[in-house]
This record gives sequence, structure tokens and C-alpha cells, in this order.
Amino acid sequence: MIPLEHVLVLSGLLFALGLCGVMMRRNVILVLMSIEIMLNGANVALIGFNKYLIANPVDGSVAPDGQVFVFFTIAVAAAEAAVALVIAMALFRRLDTINVDDVANLRW
Amino acid sequence: MESLLFYVFAGLAVLSTVLTLSVKNPVYSAIFMILSFAATAGVFVLLDAFLLATVQVLVYAGAIMVLFLFVIMMINLRNKEAEGLRISPFALLAAGTFLVLLGRAINDLGPAVGRRANELEGTPELLAETLFTGYVVPFEAVSMLLLAAILGTVVLSRRQTGEDAR
Repeated sequence: MIPLEHVLVLSGLLFALGLCGVMMRRNVILVLMSIEIMLNGANVALIGFNKYLIANPVDGSVAPDGQVFVFFTIAVAAAEAAVALVIAMALFRRLDTINVDDVANLRW
Repeated sequence: MESLLFYVFAGLAVLSTVLTLSVKNPVYSAIFMILSFAATAGVFVLLDAFLLATVQVLVYAGAIMVLFLFVIMMINLRNKEAEGLRISPFALLAAGTFLVLLGRAINDLGPAVGRRANELEGTPELLAETLFTGYVVPFEAVSMLLLAAILGTVVLSRRQTGEDAR
């Protein structure tokens, strides 16, 4: 039996690594990959909690709510990756760069 | 045996994620990320999420990473912007704060209650029943979101013509 704490530590490590990647890498594609890693870390936590859910005290039934959430997360991540990668392509076509430091027009 | 496999897969996932973020070449990053997602799929199997492990390999490691690889190859960086990892103190501070807070939260966690063994756990049957009974409205919302993403992708990737192109 895997302790829930260890699953949560794995999830937190993946999330923290993704956070470091978002803040440290300047290539927009690597920033997107880091965001996917953070989503993946959250998925690990959801599936871990799903395994240790307490059964419904009334009828003893267990619904896989956490796994359904992960299903939705994967769908949202796919949509996000498609749109964000097209934005990166448009950025490269227009400005000939994918370095996020070169695209700071909206920064105060 | 089960917990040993968990630590093997967890270590592999963390190691390949570190490599993803630290190698210079974006193509190698994508390859290491596929390894990271495959290792996470192994963790999912050990946590009784069999269908989601399959979806993880098919959708994440298959479809999404192929998309990333295609874009990396279309953008063709000509090695001029192949920069590596820059250690930034703010990023380490943010990640460290997050891990400390998470450690406190895990400390405060009550004793975990292992759920009753369910022979259907993680199978398509049980997941589909929950998805199409209790979660029909979110399911439809996600399908609209995917449709919107398709439309947005088509509009954004259209080559601009005439006076629109600057």
C-alpha cells in the first residue's frame, strides 16, 4: 500500500519543478512544457486523493470523482496546448523570436 | 513490490522532469517530457487509475507531445536561441515556499483511510458511468471548450493576406 503522503510529495515535487521551469526558461515552448508539467503534478494529487476517498457512509458506494476530474484536466490541457502553440507560431512569424523577454510590450 | 515500483516510477518521473527543464535542445526536452509522462502513467496504474494511464500515454505522451515536436521543428531555431537554464533566485524562492507550505499541509493531514477495494476501480465501465451520469454538464462544457480551441487554432494559424499583413 502506497502512503498518501508519498503520492502528495511526488505531486508537489512535479509542481515545484514546473514552477521553476516557468520562471527560469525564456523559450516560450519550454514555458508551455513547464505548464503541462504543473498540470501533470496536480493530476497525480487528484488520483492519489481518489484512491484514499472515504466511501459514502449511507450506501457504501464509491464514485471515482478524482479520476473524472483528471479526465477533464487532460482535455483542458490539450485545448490549452493547441491554442498556445499556435500563438507561439504566430509570434515567431511576426516577430521572428520565441524568447519571452523580447515580447514585453504589455509589461509596465 | 507495489510500493517499490511506485518509488521507481516516481524517481524516474522527477529525474526526467529535471532533465526536461535543464537540457539546452528543445527536442531533447520534448523527449524527456515523454519519458516523464510515461513514468507518471506507471504511477497512475499503481494508484488503480488504469483507464487514465492509457489516456495519459495516448493523449499526453502521444498527441500533445507530437504537437510540441512539430512546432519545435517548424520554428527551426537555427541554434541562435538555444539557451539553457538560468538559475533565478526568485524561482527557487517561489518553489521553496511552495514546498514548505505543502510539507506543512501534509503534516496536518489526518490519518489516511484506505478505501474499500472495488473490483471496478479505474475501469472504463465505472469511469464512464460517473462521467455520463453525475458529470454530464461539465462534459458538455469541455466539448464546447475543445470546439472553441479548434476554431481559435484555425483562425490564428490562417496566413494573413493583403492589407491585413503588416
